[in-house]
Amino acid sequence: MILALLWPLLVSLRNPLRMLMEHGALGRPGHRPELLDRVWASAPLPALALALWPGETALLMEGWLLGGQWHLDEARRPWLLFTSLLWIAAGVYARGYLIAEQQAAEAGDVDAFRRLLGLALLWPLTLTGNLLLILAEDIPSFYLGFTVMTFAAYGLVVHAGHHDAHLGGRAYLAMALFGEALILGGLLWSAGTADARTLSGLREGIAEAEQGMWMATLLWLGFGVKAGVAGLHVWLPLAHPVAPTPASAVLSGVMIKAGLIGWLSTLPLGVPHAGLEPLGRVVLGMGLAGALGATLLGIVQRHPKAVLAYSSVSQMGMITTLVGIGLLEPALWPALSVAVVLFAAHHGMTKGALFLGVGISEHPPRLPTWLLWSLLSLPALSLTGALASGLAAKWSMKSVLYDGGHGLLVTWLSLAAVGTTLLMARALWRQWCERGHHTIPWRAPMPLSWLFVVLGAAGVPLWLPLAGMGATWPPLAELPGLLWPTLVGLVLACLAVAGAATVRGKWRVKRRLLPGDLWWLYAALSRRGLAMLAKGSRNMESRASRLRARLVEKEERVVARLGDVTRYERGFRRLAVPLMIGVAVLLLVGFWLE
Amino acid sequence: MSQAWLPLATLATSLLVVPAIFALPERAWRARAVLNLSAALVKLALVALMVVGFYLGHSFEFGFTVVDGVRFLLKVDALGLTFAGLSSLLWLATTIYAIGYLEDSPNRKRFFGFFSLCIASTVGISLAGNLFTFLLFYELLTLSTYPLVVHRGHPRALAAGSLYLRYTLTGGLVLLLGVVALHALVGDIAFGDREVLADLGPDYHPLLFGLFLVMLLGLGVKAALVPLHGWLPRAMVAPAPVSALLHAVAVVKAGAFGIVRLVYDVYGIDLSFELGLLTVLTVVATITILYGSIRALAQEELKPRLAFSTVSQVSYIVLGISLFGPFGTIAGLVHLMHQGLMKVTLFYCAGNYAEELGIHRIDELDGAGRRMPLTSLAFTVGALGMIGLPPVAGFVSKWYLGLGAVQAGMPWVIAVLVTSSLLNAAYFLPILHRLWFRPGPEHGRGEWPEERHLGRLETSGWLLWPTAATALFSLLAGLLAGMPFSPLDLAAIMATGEYLR
Repeated sequence: MILALLWPLLVSLRNPLRMLMEHGALGRPGHRPELLDRVWASAPLPALALALWPGETALLMEGWLLGGQWHLDEARRPWLLFTSLLWIAAGVYARGYLIAEQQAAEAGDVDAFRRLLGLALLWPLTLTGNLLLILAEDIPSFYLGFTVMTFAAYGLVVHAGHHDAHLGGRAYLAMALFGEALILGGLLWSAGTADARTLSGLREGIAEAEQGMWMATLLWLGFGVKAGVAGLHVWLPLAHPVAPTPASAVLSGVMIKAGLIGWLSTLPLGVPHAGLEPLGRVVLGMGLAGALGATLLGIVQRHPKAVLAYSSVSQMGMITTLVGIGLLEPALWPALSVAVVLFAAHHGMTKGALFLGVGISEHPPRLPTWLLWSLLSLPALSLTGALASGLAAKWSMKSVLYDGGHGLLVTWLSLAAVGTTLLMARALWRQWCERGHHTIPWRAPMPLSWLFVVLGAAGVPLWLPLAGMGATWPPLAELPGLLWPTLVGLVLACLAVAGAATVRGKWRVKRRLLPGDLWWLYAALSRRGLAMLAKGSRNMESRASRLRARLVEKEERVVARLGDVTRYERGFRRLAVPLMIGVAVLLLVGFWLE
Repeated sequence: MSQAWLPLATLATSLLVVPAIFALPERAWRARAVLNLSAALVKLALVALMVVGFYLGHSFEFGFTVVDGVRFLLKVDALGLTFAGLSSLLWLATTIYAIGYLEDSPNRKRFFGFFSLCIASTVGISLAGNLFTFLLFYELLTLSTYPLVVHRGHPRALAAGSLYLRYTLTGGLVLLLGVVALHALVGDIAFGDREVLADLGPDYHPLLFGLFLVMLLGLGVKAALVPLHGWLPRAMVAPAPVSALLHAVAVVKAGAFGIVRLVYDVYGIDLSFELGLLTVLTVVATITILYGSIRALAQEELKPRLAFSTVSQVSYIVLGISLFGPFGTIAGLVHLMHQGLMKVTLFYCAGNYAEELGIHRIDELDGAGRRMPLTSLAFTVGALGMIGLPPVAGFVSKWYLGLGAVQAGMPWVIAVLVTSSLLNAAYFLPILHRLWFRPGPEHGRGEWPEERHLGRLETSGWLLWPTAATALFSLLAGLLAGMPFSPLDLAAIMATGEYLR
């Protein structure tokens, strides 16, 4: 288990150390090693091996932070499995995707080398954080993993270094900090109240605490930033499109799930009488709002990765709904949690395949066009719930919800699936419009790893049982109920294409809404707030210095007055002799009188 | 078994160096360096000896009566030993750093002489066994720091020095007043005799409350509690090693240490709680934390920003003390050490940038991470620690502060902590962004204000290694907080063993 976490860390530190030893200092010109080599791509391998290793393991480390406890149990195994799979594939993909940059760096392009060095360092570091947060059972380790992942991923977002990347990075970092603050507050409050050191202790503590509602709300919101809850999602459409494609894939595929893992680890889901029903209703509402709203915003985006990012918001909205139900009806949770994990694994792999596919359509491998595009649309169809893993995930979700008597909710979710279909059509359409013509051999790392993810994504229900997670296929009779949203979506998409064709000639439609929607509002507000703080700070400064000046002035006046006293000195001197004689005389008179 | 010579010898090592340094000629820098370093090493060894002895249950005490009723007392307890250990460790690092920093600058003899005197006073403060001895060294510290602050001798330095004296001497006077009044009331109180004041009975409570406030005013000047912090940002004109020491162990920390002593060893935590003094401290600390962070936001130069960050961070210690309960106590004590490590790192880095590249303003830092990666890495560690992100030491402090707040029944303090973290992030992360993610002179944009090549590495080894070492310590103190002898472990021993029986 230690190896699983240590290996990525070592891989991350390898290049700087190597350079330090070779040149005595970083950044000096000299031999430039291949940065993204095979060892670099192998970073997640030990984690994969760990996920497939049979039996539960636990690791106790007294000296680590405030007492480390890492567990690998049945609940964590599926997460570890699909996370490490996607990281491996994305790593291999990145070696192909960044080959031009790599060659430029080896040829002596300093900027490219610097960017790659950053990626070589931060990519495995992000991975380490991601793995740690899955395995950690003690709260500080979990928080450490979450933080390392969050901050290291900033480097992945701004990798390209152009203006949009920095905008995306800023949005990412600002929202992440906001989330971290809420998480820290929630963790401290609940851990302090429950006197808990482990996540399971924390969950029990929140369920029993008097203010548990508010603690849970803080945590839900804090992790919600990462999970892209409606209103807190604004960084997703800004940050995901600007990152290099393999980084977008892990960002949208697995890192977004860190928020979900956060919920599952800290919220007392499935605990009866936890008293969190009001929060559950809010979660449910926000989940639906995200699931439906994001499709409306996503449909008008032009950049395929922005469309996919909005689709992630929508999909995470669906999962949020499930979490909301879990809070409302703890009795349903055991069945729901299976659906949530399956859904998460399905979405993680599928969204990873879709993002990697964007890079593939830009640099198409030499495959027949029909094969290429049907492979590209396979994960899209799967995401809508019509095929493969999507079908299984949707079925497990719906069956639980039907059993719980939430038929209405299923209808809403089906509407969201219609939206997903539209989004997928839009994304594929934009990919088609922006497709590249410079082909690459199909046996290069990029297409192969993409193929691997596409097939892996389609087969999630087949291999997830390896991690002890059962999945069932829907009976044939249920198929129409599961397929209609996709069909409706497809029909609507066709209508939309036809409609757009007729509309285009007649009047210009404002076709684009800026990605990031509410971000612009938040940014303006926070700019205003920061400016006010800075102004207040300057005011305080000037007021303090004025006060200081006045005190100094007063002091000088006192000193000056002391100087005045010395003027009397001469008078004293003149008085001294008469004074002494006078006193002596008085004394004498006194004695004489005595 | 009592061994009187050890604390005395520890004090004497740094004290005796002073005349020796003044006796050496100005140009004998090699002899001076050897003298300084060997004294620092000897002192570290002596402190280590005391630590071992203390764990074995020996007690170390040295005292004599000055006049009837007033005793000079050096005594070793866990708190004093920790502070002495921290100061001797950082002294060693800072001496190395200062030797490199002041290479070829005038008046080095004067500098190192007063530097040693300053450290001797810090050791005296940490080993002082009663208020009288504490006050003695406290004042000695004030006076020995002045020449260091005005070392450069230009008008700005002189102005800052006079402001420094105004604040600290007045503070010392007020403290003296409080100490004398307390002495008049109950006579000499050795640290640890908590029953003396507690036994006075409720009639005296208003008086004790007032006296505490008077002494708090006196100590608060050095601890830079708002609104008594005005001297600290101005004292930034001092050379980097001085600022580093000033902010990490010497002056500012002496004030905070005094407050710790006052609460735990003179009044006792129970009496302080009963008198409502802890609430006063909580409020003052909260205001200081937020005020310092907000002011730091507006600073455009590196060192003033760090200075205001100190204002804010030192009050974490006060905040921890003011939270009634073991976690609060642990948080305060552990932050006493953590803040020292992290802040000293940050100031070393600021000094490195200034020496190597001539950088003073934050907007000049663009791309410096490429030119000086190790320094920038150390700065990153320090800054992340200040924000309170794991795995750096600051996280442990913040975690325990939060738990302590809940334990003391004041969950609202968590909101203060979170706000402060956000503000810290708001003024540290832009610096990190400039360091690592912006192109600068190293990428062919503009040039450094005043570049020098001080060494084979990114800068002179004398400057680089202490920086790297303290950064590493800050990281390890957080990462391995659960290990024996980590700052957290020591603080937990102190808290459970001495103050909360």
